[in-house]
Amino acid sequence: MSEAKPFQLDPNESRKVGYIPQKQIDYYALRLHVIAGDLSANQLKAVAEVAEKYGRGEVHISTRQGMEIHFVHASNLDTARLELDAAGIKMGACGPRVRIVMGCPGSATCKFGIIETKAIAKELDRRYFRTDTPYKFKMSVTGCSHNCAKATENDLGVMGGLLPAWDKNICIDCNLCVNICPTKAISKQEVNGKSEYVLEESACINCSVCTLSCPVNSWTASKSGYTLLIGGTLGKIPRLASVLKKYIPTEEELFNLVERSIDFYRKNGRKKERFGHTLDRLGLETVKKEILGE
Amino acid sequence: MTDVAKRLDLSGVTCPMNFVKTKIALDSLDQGDVLEVVLDEGDPISNVPRSLKEEGHRVLKVIPHGETFIVHVEKGRV
Repeated sequence: MSEAKPFQLDPNESRKVGYIPQKQIDYYALRLHVIAGDLSANQLKAVAEVAEKYGRGEVHISTRQGMEIHFVHASNLDTARLELDAAGIKMGACGPRVRIVMGCPGSATCKFGIIETKAIAKELDRRYFRTDTPYKFKMSVTGCSHNCAKATENDLGVMGGLLPAWDKNICIDCNLCVNICPTKAISKQEVNGKSEYVLEESACINCSVCTLSCPVNSWTASKSGYTLLIGGTLGKIPRLASVLKKYIPTEEELFNLVERSIDFYRKNGRKKERFGHTLDRLGLETVKKEILGE
Repeated sequence: MTDVAKRLDLSGVTCPMNFVKTKIALDSLDQGDVLEVVLDEGDPISNVPRSLKEEGHRVLKVIPHGETFIVHVEKGRV
């Protein structure tokens, strides 16, 4: 007589591969690996199929562009995972490690986008996904300061940004920029009977509204690049991210600073302490200097 | 002062209908003619001038007027 094999799963190991125990005994949520919210139609079909075969035919979209199939019985976990794997879908991550990377569509399709978000998100994923950190570590890449992908709410955020500069020689003095700048950072001043448009840099949020809308392209980007944000989190103790550096011109420099930031957190973060809280504990300015190598 | 060939009050008209109506009004004008439109604050003034630029027209003047803006647009090449 054969006995049913009791299912044994190490809770830590299962979290690593994206099996999340539900409160219903022996049932798990399968967390899937998605980068910047992108799945192909064929992958979606595979997800639907697995959800019907091994779950309850339902798919849950997470708050961070992830996807989960709930109510998978423990005995079906590996079969379900292998079927997803065959469709090119890996498992997501839980626990104290780097989670899936979020991203907005970016400059590939969005007129406001200043950077190519998908390439950066994929590279962050390739370098860091599922690697261990003191506590959960979330990253997001957003194309501009509209911040659709909420870079400021992640442990590490990359945001496109530009610094507008005004060319008086082509300006037609229409006054549009003054009226559409989201932070009223642009003002018009009369100098010797002529209009001068002045940008207050400290108020500028580095978006592309003026450069995109100016009818004669009198406003153009004098600087443009990646803004690297560190230490954002929501959850139990919310903290918006702090700017580490603006206008980072190259991917090489960006990834160098990302590496230094994560490395700092790995060396200094306490257990169950999010990166932002490490920064606050040790002093933001001190840590920034250390990461920047100043 | 700019000679205005046509006037259109689009206060209370939301996106994207305000842009559609602006485009239709511009259709009846010749290149270089100026259309005056009244646009609401918020999305209309943020979006319509940008869309007009994308279509090859040129905003010449934006005058705040209460909770609206009086916008002069020069019709571009068709």
